[in-house]
Parts: sequence; structure tokens; C-alpha cells
Amino acid sequence: MNIVGISACAAGIAHTYIAKEKLVEAAEADGHTIHIETQGTVGTEDELDPADIAKADVAIIAADISVSGKDRFKGIKTIEIPTELVIRSPHKLMKKIEEIVESK
Amino acid sequence: MAEKSKSKKSVWTTLQRYALTGISFLIPIVVAGGFMMAIGSIAGGTSVDTLIGETNLPNILYTCGSLILGMLPCVIGAGIAFGIADKPGIAPGFLVGLISKYIGAGFLGGFVGGFIAGYIALALRDHMKVPSWAEGLKPMLLIPLLSCLAVALIMVYILGYPISIFMTALDSYVRGLDMNQKAMFGAIIGILSGVDYGGPINKVVYAFLLTLQSEGITQPMAVLFLASMNTPFGFTFAYFLQKLFRKNIYTKDDIECLKTAFPMGVCMITEGTFPIIFTALGKAMISTAIGASVGGALSMVWGCGVSVAHGGLFAMPAMTNPFGWLAALLIASAITAVVWILLCKPIDINAIRTTDESEEKDVDLSDFKVA
Repeated sequence: MNIVGISACAAGIAHTYIAKEKLVEAAEADGHTIHIETQGTVGTEDELDPADIAKADVAIIAADISVSGKDRFKGIKTIEIPTELVIRSPHKLMKKIEEIVESK
Repeated sequence: MAEKSKSKKSVWTTLQRYALTGISFLIPIVVAGGFMMAIGSIAGGTSVDTLIGETNLPNILYTCGSLILGMLPCVIGAGIAFGIADKPGIAPGFLVGLISKYIGAGFLGGFVGGFIAGYIALALRDHMKVPSWAEGLKPMLLIPLLSCLAVALIMVYILGYPISIFMTALDSYVRGLDMNQKAMFGAIIGILSGVDYGGPINKVVYAFLLTLQSEGITQPMAVLFLASMNTPFGFTFAYFLQKLFRKNIYTKDDIECLKTAFPMGVCMITEGTFPIIFTALGKAMISTAIGASVGGALSMVWGCGVSVAHGGLFAMPAMTNPFGWLAALLIASAITAVVWILLCKPIDINAIRTTDESEEKDVDLSDFKVA
């Protein structure tokens, strides 16, 4: 499965990056390819490559605030969740996402 | 029925997301302004009326810090409106902030007005029908002008008065608290601003306390300062106190983490302790809550207040009764440390922590948006 996503939190210094780390760790543990862009207080980092978005099966927006550039995910199944959920249960979340994508 | 409660929840999370978007714009400004005022006041600066020709650096720092902090109603208004309506929200959002400053509705005015500005701008953008010859005028002229006009009228004629009345009522309520109520109030603020470690609850409380602070009620903000620093301090104290309990609760990785978390804590940033918090989230929250509630109560009862919005230990010169506050912080941290040590399972110092999937909580995605 190819996953793209954005993470962002209110302060933009901690939850954003922990959420990214947990998502990447959980996705790779299940053998998926994942790219996550962070929109922290220092601005956007690791901006998503349009080529990765084009071949993505699912987009994950792990954010507590409004993120920019959501329109890039038009036509892709998009899941919006708070960062706290990702940080608390990354592996179970990944399993749920797999279910959702397969049920398509 | 289930459908209804679900949509209610998502309305709440949406509003919360907009509020947090506004607060995310606010934080760098609060930190910069808070530190500038704190450094300025440590160096003996005060507010001056004219900056041109001013040669006293502390005065310049203090004045510039207070200038940027004075813009908070505008920043929160524009930030929330931006979160809702994207760029078209900025102009009316900024305006509600300025109006709030002008009519004495302050931070709360900017906060409430930001939502109104955002939804008006969004409605104009998505639903305003114009003849085809005016399509070009819509983004350039019509949306900014009409949205600003609308929020101006709403703020001046409808919301301004009730908000300023509410502020007066809140003001006299908080000022009128007796000792027991103060302790209770401090304990509650302490718990709320501590337990989610700089997350959404903390940020909402922070917005509320900024409102009080702009009215000159500075004690509750001192409690939030304390609660934010309590965890890094407490977890660091635990490292030194654990020997008394003949128990080792930290691994080498944790100790490395503490080395950066403590200085961050001194600057009132809790997030450095996250790696340790996440090793046992529930236990960390219990110890934080107990410590922060005691510290918050003490700080309120001892009348500690702070007139800047960020800065940690560096804000002490801007405090009333700074040493009372420091004592409350140290007591709170010691309590947090002891509770944390008692709750934690002993671990070998050379152990490597692993995450176990079976320990994770179940995920219920039905509450969240899948599109």
C-alpha cells in the first residue's frame, strides 16, 4: 500500500513530529510505503512529491489544526484524525486504515 | 440518534480545530513578546511612549515586546478566520481583533469575532452569486469589503457590548474569590493546563487565561506557567529522588532525554519530556495532575501573578511574589516526582524500551472523517 499524509499540531513543535515518526514506524512495520509532510511552526518540511501523491492508495491527515494543501489529495481516500490518536495507537490505526482501504 | 451525537461531536472537533489553528499562529508571537518583555524587565526596562531616539535597550525590548503582545486579539482573530476560510478570512479576522482592542472586548472579542469573520468570509466565498461581469471583482473587492463591513457592524452593534459586560462580570467573579475558592480554582487550572502536556486542553485554557491576563488578572496565568514546568521539573527531580526509594525507573535513553527536557522546561516548554511521558502515559498524567493541582492551589493562595504570557523561569522578574511561585513550583515538582516514582515499574538502566501493539488502546475510526 502507498500512503501519503500530513501531520500538524497546535504548537507545531512536538506532536507534529512524533505523529510522523509513529505513522512511518507503524506503516513500515506492515510493509507499506509512506511519505508524511510536516506542517510545524517552522513551516512545511518534507513536502510531498506529486509523484508519490499520484500513486497513493490513501491519504492520512493527522492534525489538530487546519492544514494547507489538502486539495492535492482530491480523488484519494482521505482519513482525518487528531495527532493524539496516532501517537496513542499507531499500529492499531494502521490496521484500521488497511481495512478501510481494502473495503473500497 | 447515534447519527446525531456523532455529528455533534464532529462540530465540536471542527470548532476546536479552528481555535487551535488560531492559537498555533499565536504561540510564536506570545513566546517572542513574552521573552522580550521578560528580558527587558530583568534589565530594568519599562514601557516608553516614543521609540524613535530611545537609546536604552531594555526599554526598547520591553516596549517592543508589549507592542507585539498587544496585537494578540488581531492574531487570534485573523488566525481563526484563516483556519475557517483560508486567505479571505485574514482581512475581516484582523479587523475584529482591532475592533476588540478598541472597544475593550480584548482577547475574547478577537477569539469569538474570529469565528464570525471566518464563517462570513467562507459564506461569501462559496455562496455569493455575482453576475459574470463581476466575477473578477469578487475576490479583489467584494469579499474583503463585504466581510469587513459585516464583521464591523456585528462587532460594534451586537457583540461588543455583551462581551465587555461578560468580561466585567468574569473580572469581578475571579477577583472576588475567597481563599478556599482560590485554592480550588488554582488546582483546577493546574490540572487542566498540565494533563495533556501542551495539547488542545492546555491551549484552550491558555486562551482563557490570556483573556483574564489582559484584564489584569495575572494569578491564573502563573498557575499555567507552573503546570507547564511541573512535568519536566518533576521528572528530572525523580531521577535524583529515585535513589531514596531504591528504585530505578529510567533507562539510559530516558536520562539522555531528560538532559534536553529540563532546559526546555526551564523555558516553559513541556514537550521535551514526551518520550518519557509516552512510556507510561496514564501514570504520567496522574503524577502531573497531583503535582500541578497542589502547585496551582499554592500559587493562587500565595497571590503569585505574572504579567507576561510566556517565559518560564525568565519571567520571574515580571511576577508578583516570584519566590512564592518558585516555592510552589518546587513543591509541585517534588510531589510529581514522588508520585511518578511510586507508580512506575522499576526498569534496568540498560534496558531498551519497546512498543508493544497489544498495549495500545483500540481505535474507533467511526468518530473521524473518512472521505
